[in-house]
Amino acid sequence: MTAVWRPAAGLAVLAAALAGLGFTLGASQLLTLNEAAGLALFAVATNLLVGYGGLVSFGQAVFYGIGAYSVALGWEHLHWSYWEGLAAAPLLGGAAALVVGLIALRARFLYFALLTLAFSQLAYEIAENQYHLTGGANGVFGAMLPVSLAQPRTGYFFVLAVTAGCLAIVWKVTASPFGLTLRSIRENRHRAEALGVNVFGHELIAFVVSGVFCSVAGALFVVYSQSAYPELLDWTQSGYAVFMAVIGGMFTFLGPALGALVYTLGQQYLVAHTTQWQLILGAALVLIALFRPDGLAGVSGLAARRLPRPRLARSTLAAGGEDGEPDGGPAKRPPGVAGEARR
Amino acid sequence: MKRDGDAGALLHAHGLVRRFGSFCAVDGVTLHVAPGSIHAVIGPNGAGKTTLFRLLTGIIRPTAGRLMLAGEDITGKAPHVLARRGLAQSFQQTTIFPRLTALESVQAAIVARSRRAGDLASWFHRTVTAEARQVLDQVGLGRQADTRADRLSHGDQRALDVALALATRPRLLLLDEPTAGMSAAETGKTIRLIAGLVRSQGLTVLFSEHDMDVVFGISEHITVLHQGRVIAAGTAAQIRANDEVNAVYLGSDDA
Repeated sequence: MTAVWRPAAGLAVLAAALAGLGFTLGASQLLTLNEAAGLALFAVATNLLVGYGGLVSFGQAVFYGIGAYSVALGWEHLHWSYWEGLAAAPLLGGAAALVVGLIALRARFLYFALLTLAFSQLAYEIAENQYHLTGGANGVFGAMLPVSLAQPRTGYFFVLAVTAGCLAIVWKVTASPFGLTLRSIRENRHRAEALGVNVFGHELIAFVVSGVFCSVAGALFVVYSQSAYPELLDWTQSGYAVFMAVIGGMFTFLGPALGALVYTLGQQYLVAHTTQWQLILGAALVLIALFRPDGLAGVSGLAARRLPRPRLARSTLAAGGEDGEPDGGPAKRPPGVAGEARR
Repeated sequence: MKRDGDAGALLHAHGLVRRFGSFCAVDGVTLHVAPGSIHAVIGPNGAGKTTLFRLLTGIIRPTAGRLMLAGEDITGKAPHVLARRGLAQSFQQTTIFPRLTALESVQAAIVARSRRAGDLASWFHRTVTAEARQVLDQVGLGRQADTRADRLSHGDQRALDVALALATRPRLLLLDEPTAGMSAAETGKTIRLIAGLVRSQGLTVLFSEHDMDVVFGISEHITVLHQGRVIAAGTAAQIRANDEVNAVYLGSDDA
């Protein structure tokens, strides 16, 4: 099964190239890349639900924010070091995801999306109102990083290493028997149930795994921002992760990471030229949703072109109605890593 | 009503009732499926066949009555629990995993059967892939292993549907109108497939069917439903000679 290792090798080359940039770029560019790397983990973790599980959650910012607040509040109230906060983040995020998942996964489709959105709004309100604990709307600011991480370059290498490590774990999860089961639930939950799969239990596992890694991404956010504030928990923050996944390609493993990069660069550079950059983002999203549901990763995926596009594709799309269809991956692609072999 | 030996029955439904509001879709159905047999449930449209199958597979719960699988009470158990007890089903509308390949679909079924669906940490074992290919060969899909399920022909999708059920290594296979919407050639192929599986694997099959040629061609036992009730049960020959059954199928109510 050498095909399984190809995306892993691609990932390693990519990580090496990004590490090389760490030695050549200036401080402000490094901060931008830093943000992109953190958001890439957030987007890929969110996409475990959106792309692999077919569960469109607008609540992943709850866990992202919990990750950031774990570090910030631990530092402020418990005199934790950054490392203690980083260790606590996935535990607290995972526990919160278990609770939210137990409730939200009782609902389906739109109602699931609305419930997760409501949890995001609830978390935002709590963070904003508990002034004595969270500093309210101001959030928590301060020198919460050890000296070794406070430099842009070391900070960048650290965020990059943690992101790469976490992405490798998430990728492994998508390639496991669980990953295939999750995709089969996305495709047809009743059929999966008839085969003996406890659908609710598996969706809950996916929700918790996603929550854990969203929290780690939140803890990484502190490395380049040295702060935590209520907007991190807001549903719009959840929405950005979904945007990144859709723009980058939710049916590929690294698509959402590409989306995070495009989003971050867009934010950084478009904002210098136009105040309407969110409008451009929105327009891009509309175009992609309409014409290339498999996202930028699908557009660049030349390997898919080698397979003839079947005549039935259009009608399947119309009949299925739920989402667009990605091009069939290479014949022997490993489960869950469609498109990765293209890299 | 004739009883065909409930002591050794693999599946035994006793007095199953299912009401939807004031409408009684299944009204006291008792059914015995002998191990290793091919058993058909027939009846005109609206006789309650599909509701009965949904009851037997746990998709809906009975209003009253009991359901036993190999002597174990399975009344009201969830579908995934029934699946683990050896009950597999294929649906009236083909239900597959559209964007998984045929091979991936069967792998998913094998993973579910071997209780490894929650396994996040390990790789696919070679044996899962080998077994999946073997199951695809059995249903004649060996060459389409890497084709996405939604790009298979209608008949091949039905075959994949059956392959998914087979991959769970069931004791009892429930097929709700397995040849619905098929061409004559596809119907023949499917029937040969089912009969072959019963012989080679010692499977027990309970199926519902519209096509009388299919029913009398392969079934050993037949249960006839009409307006939610069993009006006849017995061997193919007995059913063929039954006046009430003939009356129902001719559409008159004076039987």
